[in-house]
Amino acid sequence: MTAPLDIRPTRSRFNVARLSQQALNWLKGLIPPVVAIVIFLSIWQVLTMGPNATLPTPIRTIQDTWELIINPFFDYGGTDKGLFWQVWSSLQRVAIGFSLAAVAGVALGILVGTSPLMYSALDPIFQILRTVPPLAWLPISLAAIQQAGPASIFVIFITAIWPIIINTTEGVRQIPQDYNNVAKVLRLSKPTYFFKILFPATVPYIFTGLRIGIGLSWLAIVAAEMLIGGVGIGFFIWDAWNSSRISDIIIAIVYVGVVGLLLDRLIVFIGTLVLPEEQKK
Amino acid sequence: MAVFVEVDHVDRVFNLPDGGEYIALKNIDLHIHKGEFVSLVGHSGCGKSTLLNILSGLDQPSAGGIILEGRQVTEPGPDRMVVFQNYSLLPWLTVRQNIQLAVDQVMGHHPKAVRKRMVDHHIEMVGLQKAADKRPGQISGGMKQRVAIARALAIRPKLLLLDEPFGALDALTRGGLQEQLMQICQENEVTCVMVTHDVDEALLLSDRIVLMTNGPEAHVGQIVDVPFPRPRERMEVVKHPNYYSLRNEIVYFLNQQKRAKLQRAKPAVAVAANGLEKVNLELGFIPLVDCAPLIVAKEKGLFEANGLSQVTLNREPSWNAIADGVTSGRLDASMMVAGMPLGITLGYGNQRPVPMVSALTLSRNGNAITFSKRLFDQGVRSPADFKAALDRRPDQVHTLATVHPTSMHNLLLRYWLAAGGIDPDRDVSVTVIPPAQMASNLKSGTIDGYCVGEPWNARAVAEGHGVVLATDNDIWAGHIEKVLGVTEAWANQYPKTHVALVKALLEACEYCDDRRNREEIAEMLARPEYVGADETLIRQGFLDPYDRGDGSEPQQVLNYIQFFTGKANFPDVTEAVWMMTQMARWGITPFPRNWLEVAERVKRSDIFGQAARELGLLDIGRDRHSIQLFDGVPFDPDHPLDYLNQFAIKRDLRIEEMPMDVVRR
Repeated sequence: MTAPLDIRPTRSRFNVARLSQQALNWLKGLIPPVVAIVIFLSIWQVLTMGPNATLPTPIRTIQDTWELIINPFFDYGGTDKGLFWQVWSSLQRVAIGFSLAAVAGVALGILVGTSPLMYSALDPIFQILRTVPPLAWLPISLAAIQQAGPASIFVIFITAIWPIIINTTEGVRQIPQDYNNVAKVLRLSKPTYFFKILFPATVPYIFTGLRIGIGLSWLAIVAAEMLIGGVGIGFFIWDAWNSSRISDIIIAIVYVGVVGLLLDRLIVFIGTLVLPEEQKK
Repeated sequence: MAVFVEVDHVDRVFNLPDGGEYIALKNIDLHIHKGEFVSLVGHSGCGKSTLLNILSGLDQPSAGGIILEGRQVTEPGPDRMVVFQNYSLLPWLTVRQNIQLAVDQVMGHHPKAVRKRMVDHHIEMVGLQKAADKRPGQISGGMKQRVAIARALAIRPKLLLLDEPFGALDALTRGGLQEQLMQICQENEVTCVMVTHDVDEALLLSDRIVLMTNGPEAHVGQIVDVPFPRPRERMEVVKHPNYYSLRNEIVYFLNQQKRAKLQRAKPAVAVAANGLEKVNLELGFIPLVDCAPLIVAKEKGLFEANGLSQVTLNREPSWNAIADGVTSGRLDASMMVAGMPLGITLGYGNQRPVPMVSALTLSRNGNAITFSKRLFDQGVRSPADFKAALDRRPDQVHTLATVHPTSMHNLLLRYWLAAGGIDPDRDVSVTVIPPAQMASNLKSGTIDGYCVGEPWNARAVAEGHGVVLATDNDIWAGHIEKVLGVTEAWANQYPKTHVALVKALLEACEYCDDRRNREEIAEMLARPEYVGADETLIRQGFLDPYDRGDGSEPQQVLNYIQFFTGKANFPDVTEAVWMMTQMARWGITPFPRNWLEVAERVKRSDIFGQAARELGLLDIGRDRHSIQLFDGVPFDPDHPLDYLNQFAIKRDLRIEEMPMDVVRR
């Protein structure tokens, strides 16, 4: 690190040998999961081949849902829309609910973390409320808000906020004593302390909270939509069940899983952009 | 120099979760001058860092306080900047931003351009221009430490506090940074307090080294002045004649603390065996030729032969450590300077009196008064010459050294000076230095002469810095020199052990005075775990002709050190009374009105007699006698006050009744 930067050997951007080597490594990494999936599908195929099978075979599933797979963007009005639109409207609800939860959760978390009084007063309440399953909130939010859309957004909000609050609080409380000592010795002003030390030091914890929160939100939205109806991937699954389109359900489940994974990765990715090297643990 | 920081009797008590208390620091009192570099050294858990936190204001003392330039420290502030052990840089800020945060906060009243220059200047000072825009995660430990130092110095603190600043760095980086820090502190005249484990680092950087004892109730055990001239160079410091003696002193202190810790961990349970109450003894000694009886008793198995099967010899750094060790119970018994048992019993230096017992004299003679070659070249050969030299230069302060206030060295040197018309307190200054450091202090010129036992006179002569002006034989031939000392409580608790110990040492003394054994003893003493000096130095006077360094032919001195011959070992009450007169003469102790009672109480001829009888050594007791030193003034043990009053040079006498409880056993 002390070496002068200019004496490092310059690297060509297009080093064919290196690129092909990387590609090869990437492909090698892909082999185990692909094999696992093939085995899983084979077992599924074998188990559902009998005449009395209640679930379709994987091949059958693909045949049944081919229309849905090749055209996710159709829109025939009402709830009869392509899977993309179904997922999209679910994501919109999650985006609104989760954003509100993030803002409120971080603010509350910092408040509770910095004040021992608040901590002792509110932490037990948070600990109780965070264990409530998301769907248990639905009736009360429907009763209070009286509208299906906002009610489901509220469910997302109330589901996602607890891990965000708790992790932010923990982050504030876990600020290394060293940093606080620096602040004390330098007699940093309150705003400077907040922006230069407290907030940056808490960011890794906030991202942990956000990551857990987004996972819970996605869980909650599918369940909530099943009950509330309208356009959305959750209601799509419920609708398919009512119409005995088992293959549709299976394909929707794959969509839900992939989207959930992508959301999680998105938060991690944003985290890597924000956090400096030393705080990534 | 005015006191800059005052640590005023600081205690720090932590409340434990189980409701108890842990006293981490007890009565820390320390004065630091402006521009001084002070190191705190001690074992882990001795409260060094706690003290540093209290200095910074991050922690509050439970009692006492910190005063910086006359104002009490109650909270942390940028005038006492800390360089933390783990750098404490903010990882989300670049090097420049880290320093800038401190500068902006503390120097907000300066224009922006000035602050920017300030930041740039300090980045440059620690040579981090190229890394200025990197984050701490991207630079090495050494660089982070440099950033931390730059950040601390950039805000111009009055006091810089460093908590093991180089602990986590590799040796090469550490060396470079130490030199940088030294240079920066020198140039900016920063007052520094540093916590460290590294003795060499402390010696290189500090003006004073504060040695802390182990917790709980850690306190300042010893303060070592580091006399190396500034600006310092690492190689020059290492070559300084005092370097190794200072280093040894610190290492001894730390080792002794470690032993104390071990002892505390396994409480010293008396192991009874062989018909004795306690056979596991901790004995103290000082590296001197006349520690030979202890070494011989250990090496020749005389302790075991008398049933003392688990004796450990502890090499102690100073006579003060011995006095503390025996009174605190860390040591069971120890070799002591002749006046120490009396001095402790009388409470020398205004300390709490602890009744002591001495049932054996270990050696007689063996001292000499050495003056610097410089004074010798000016013609100083005797006290009279010295007085003339003093009169010629009344503006100069001459410093002479002895090893302990109650030692014969002190009493004889003062007697010798006073007999020549020199007041040892007014005309010169008499200071106390551990024996092993005498020669190097003479060499460096901090002292002009000293009185000490061998081989430390021989060393100054051999190195050509000193000349022996008088040996004991010139002042008082055959005087009491080293004794065995224990507390009276110990002697009463372990009477059989005490007798066994006296027997073992008495046999050793007899062995030492057989000249056929002296080659072997000289070889034993030279070993590093004992005296650790060159064998040729140890042989001076002990075996070989004694070289006084004044150009005369080395002469064979009879009875240069007497261990046994001439009824050497009897605990002599007459001598005890003489020593009490001299200690009172110089204000070291009051003179007890019940002087005979005190002398009889300390000098236990009954224990000595029992040991001698059991060994079959007959007729080694002494009768009452009178004493006459080289000046011919007779001392009659029946009239000590008359003797005292006839001295022209003396301090104000304090004559007090010494309350001795009636019950003896």
